[in-house]
Amino acid sequence: MTIKALALSLMAAAAIVAPAKADKLDDIIASGTLRCAVVLDFPPMGSRDAANNPVGFDVDYCNDLAKVLGVTAEIVETPFPERIPALMSGRVDVGVASTSDTLERAKTVGMTIPYFAFEMAVTANEKSGVKSFEDMKGKTVGATAGTYEAIALEAQVKTWGSGEFRPYQTQADVFLALSQGQIDATVSTSTVAQANVKTGNFPGIAVVGKAPFDIDYVSLFTNREEYGLINYLNLFINQQVRTGRYKELYAKWVGGEAPNLTVPGVYR
Amino acid sequence: MFNYTFRWNQALQALPQMLNGALVTLEIALLSMAIGLVCAVALTLFRRSDSRILKGFAATWVEVARNTPALFQIYMAHFGLGAFGVHLSPFTSLLAGIAFNNAGYLSENFRGALKAIPDTQARAGRSLGLTSLQAFRYILLPQMLRIAFLPATNQMVWAILMTSLGVTVGMNTDLAGVTQALNAKSFRTFEFFAIAAVIYYVIAKVVTLAARALAWRLFRS
Repeated sequence: MTIKALALSLMAAAAIVAPAKADKLDDIIASGTLRCAVVLDFPPMGSRDAANNPVGFDVDYCNDLAKVLGVTAEIVETPFPERIPALMSGRVDVGVASTSDTLERAKTVGMTIPYFAFEMAVTANEKSGVKSFEDMKGKTVGATAGTYEAIALEAQVKTWGSGEFRPYQTQADVFLALSQGQIDATVSTSTVAQANVKTGNFPGIAVVGKAPFDIDYVSLFTNREEYGLINYLNLFINQQVRTGRYKELYAKWVGGEAPNLTVPGVYR
Repeated sequence: MFNYTFRWNQALQALPQMLNGALVTLEIALLSMAIGLVCAVALTLFRRSDSRILKGFAATWVEVARNTPALFQIYMAHFGLGAFGVHLSPFTSLLAGIAFNNAGYLSENFRGALKAIPDTQARAGRSLGLTSLQAFRYILLPQMLRIAFLPATNQMVWAILMTSLGVTVGMNTDLAGVTQALNAKSFRTFEFFAIAAVIYYVIAKVVTLAARALAWRLFRS
């Protein structure tokens, strides 16, 4: 046997013996469990019902995804700042956590096409005299650390050159601070603002208008290099809209007309 | 499986911002120590006083400060007082929470130090015609501070590390707050937290060494 023939036969043997490398999509299907990072202090996207069970748009969305994958969904409660660390440390497979698809974040994780869109609303303490977004200039304002609106609002406060910005750890802390008058106003997604005002847990606050920030498109995310899974998730989002399930879930949790998930003039 | 690509460059670009945050951290720690020391001396005096109210006040402070989490103490300063319409800024809440904690622990250090000083010293002072307060001021206090000096540096290190709890009350200018904000923007969690941890370590180490050097200068005999 020549050396060449030996090498060839070794390679052939290796090709038969070495198993095909399973990707994350395979891993999820094989494990029988889909672990989703969901934020549960962010109604109506995620919260807990009276029996302490996770409920909300994101919870249903994760359950839908698990169903088509043929596995059981496991909702892993994840605060906003810990969403990506939870993925990186392998505690979750996919983030179904209303995560804005910023370019900065896309350097670290793989983002899907948008699965939901938020408009931004200004909620103010009634004693503060804030009646619109412009009134927030020079006031003490706050938002949930690490969110799209927090980043935009902090930049806006810097542009205005007066006032103060405070990041809080949870959405509940923001509304608590707002209700107590620690901050004068906040910018949050309009769904969250309405839901929090409606609970009555935070007296003395009201939604006073829209914030002129871009529509906040949010994506599912997983590891950056998991193209197989990202492709699957993209198709899943497409199918949710096609089958009318997106509209159905929107009507169930938010109410009204579901926002368009496409930006006119570009592909994604 | 472990699945992470390190991007140290991206994180190191933010080093100047983080070092500015470290200065704020040090500032809060030093201020909280100064306030804590003054309060602790007062608490120690209260405990030695004959007034039941003062004694009870000092005992309650020390009990609460030592037996509840520092996180709650800071959170209470912000949201607890906020419920009654007293609004402290994140900076003040954090400072108040840590100073409260410091005072409780330092006062216990002082109590232990006083026990190490023989009673006869105060009595000797009184027999020379000093008042009780003068005896404390001129005889007991200097010795107490000397004995409690090294344990107090422990509390200083603890104060530096406690500043990181400020993120729960919206603090965004200290090292933990700056790191948190950077992390929220890019999610380079490991890199940013690792750099922050090194900075905390260095600050704590420098403070400990400085305190030892100071002790050597002050107390060598």
